[in-house]
Amino acid sequence: MLIQLEGVTKIYEVGTEKVNALGGVSLSIEKNEYLAIMGPSGSGKSTLMNVIGCLDTPTSGSYRLKDQEVGDLDDDELAEIRSAEIGFVFQTFNLLPRMTAFQNVELPLIYSKAHRRTRAERVWSVMDAVGLRERALHRPNELSGGQRQRVAIARALINNPSIILADEPTGNLDSGTGEEIMQVFEGLHRAGNTIILVTHEEYIAEHANRIIRLHDGLISSDERAARGASPTRPVGSAERT
Amino acid sequence: MEFRETFLSALRTLGSHKMRSALTMLGIIIGAGSLVAVMSLIAGLNQSVTAQFQSVGTDIISVSHFPWVQMGDSDEYRNRKSITIHDSDAIASLPSIGLVAPNIHTRRGLSYGGESMRRVRVSGTTPEYETIDNYSVESGRFITQFDVERRRQVVVIGSDVSEKLFGLRDPIAKEMRIGGKIFLVIGILEEKGDIFGESLDEHVIIPFTAFKKAFGSRRSVVVDCQPADGVTMTRAIDDIRALMRIRRQVPRDKPDDFAINTQEDLTASYKQLTGVLYFAMTGIVALALLVGGIGVMNVMLVSVAERTREIGVRKAIGARRRDVTFQFLIESVILTVLGGALGIGGGAGIGVLVRVATPLPAATTPGSVGLAVAFSLITGIVFGVYPALRAGRLNPIQALSYE
Repeated sequence: MLIQLEGVTKIYEVGTEKVNALGGVSLSIEKNEYLAIMGPSGSGKSTLMNVIGCLDTPTSGSYRLKDQEVGDLDDDELAEIRSAEIGFVFQTFNLLPRMTAFQNVELPLIYSKAHRRTRAERVWSVMDAVGLRERALHRPNELSGGQRQRVAIARALINNPSIILADEPTGNLDSGTGEEIMQVFEGLHRAGNTIILVTHEEYIAEHANRIIRLHDGLISSDERAARGASPTRPVGSAERT
Repeated sequence: MEFRETFLSALRTLGSHKMRSALTMLGIIIGAGSLVAVMSLIAGLNQSVTAQFQSVGTDIISVSHFPWVQMGDSDEYRNRKSITIHDSDAIASLPSIGLVAPNIHTRRGLSYGGESMRRVRVSGTTPEYETIDNYSVESGRFITQFDVERRRQVVVIGSDVSEKLFGLRDPIAKEMRIGGKIFLVIGILEEKGDIFGESLDEHVIIPFTAFKKAFGSRRSVVVDCQPADGVTMTRAIDDIRALMRIRRQVPRDKPDDFAINTQEDLTASYKQLTGVLYFAMTGIVALALLVGGIGVMNVMLVSVAERTREIGVRKAIGARRRDVTFQFLIESVILTVLGGALGIGGGAGIGVLVRVATPLPAATTPGSVGLAVAFSLITGIVFGVYPALRAGRLNPIQALSYE
């Protein structure tokens, strides 16, 4: 089992008020699953993503990632787990503007202390994987939205993470480009990666093989798609020419 | 995170805010610059003053009614009794004293042919003055005992006097006028240079007796002397003090009403002066660096706030606290060290300018450069630590959602 959450709660204190963002979530995710987490805003899906992504720790309950309990780790230990196991893809890309695409992709390798020579090799191979070799030396403001998201995906892939966590990855893209990005995830899934999508768009979630719906901090449904590895034609593909 | 990457990244960041970085560095530039500049001026001053002090002679004891370096109320000095030639004779008779040269001074106009000089220092003394006060004769001869005994109207002239009055002519055996009186030139002194901006070579020396006859005998005498062979300076000074107090009838509970000057006194008061200078300078530099450091801290705090999202991203992709803290610390240290380097360059430039444009041999000292580097490094660390720690402690989730 790659990910195992048991009775995970998360309580935030906003002023004197306590907010129950997660009210006891239990969830298991296997390696090479393609999972979508859905729910309206305020349902706790962001909190769940933060917990799974080791950006945050549960208030109570247990989160085991690769059989290691993550709940009681400190800041720096969590950072090391993020560095080794998690690849984040954000809605707003979150590339560093003063660096080239190459440097952005390279950054996680620097934090994981990879050797300089192996770094370049690795960066080029993931740039190839997302089809951006020619744009590698451009800065984010010289790239289109789709290209920026590809750079972000390349950055997420660079450390060979156990999980790719994508938070509304198509939210800032037009539907055609969004579809291209979903094809990239498709490819990554086929190549053996575990992908967790956080979205509130049905047609995006349909790319996944398993959809978890959250409501008020609890899982309200957990469905596995009957179809196999290849999903049905998604919305948006028809618009492409 | 590797140092090289952090360093390059910091340079990139600072480079993207050139104006801001430059303005931030200004305080440090001024601090480090003034440190190096002032220290090179003091070094120059030290060098020229040391050279000048050596021209005075190290084992000279000069008894006068005014001290060389006067402090406090000058009225007290003015009412002192003159020192006389009899005091000089008494000092000469002390067994602990070797050579003695009584000397008296005035300022008079000089002339020869159509040339003249105003207010030149005229000294009346004895042959021993040459040895005690470190004079050497370049051509001709110094005054002799015979000249003194016979009150001969002869004069030994300084090199500036020779140049200005006689030009290319040989002054020896020429008759010149000192304060209207005719004197025969018998020698020219070797060049002595300046002391505190006054030329020592605008000077003429005549026999003590001739001086009194020509310019009056009521001036207080200065007694320059040396300890006898094998006698320490301290012992010689003690003997002179005891003798003079008896001769001048100074009551036991009163301080000396005369001064015994040595080169050591000069050095001591000079050191006191530079001590004050150093102290004032340290204050100024500390203040400049404090102000500069506060500027650095302010800019770094702004930078941390501006880059909150970047910090969030970095943490999400695996940066630990110390990676982020170190990154910001490096930035502030680069700012201050670069500012320090520019300041050192500027300060050294001022030193060179002073050396070229003034007689002061200002020289940038390695010590001042080291101090400036250390100060700017420390400033960068001290004022960069707080913003850097704040950056490192940011919560990644909050940082990522920061607009």
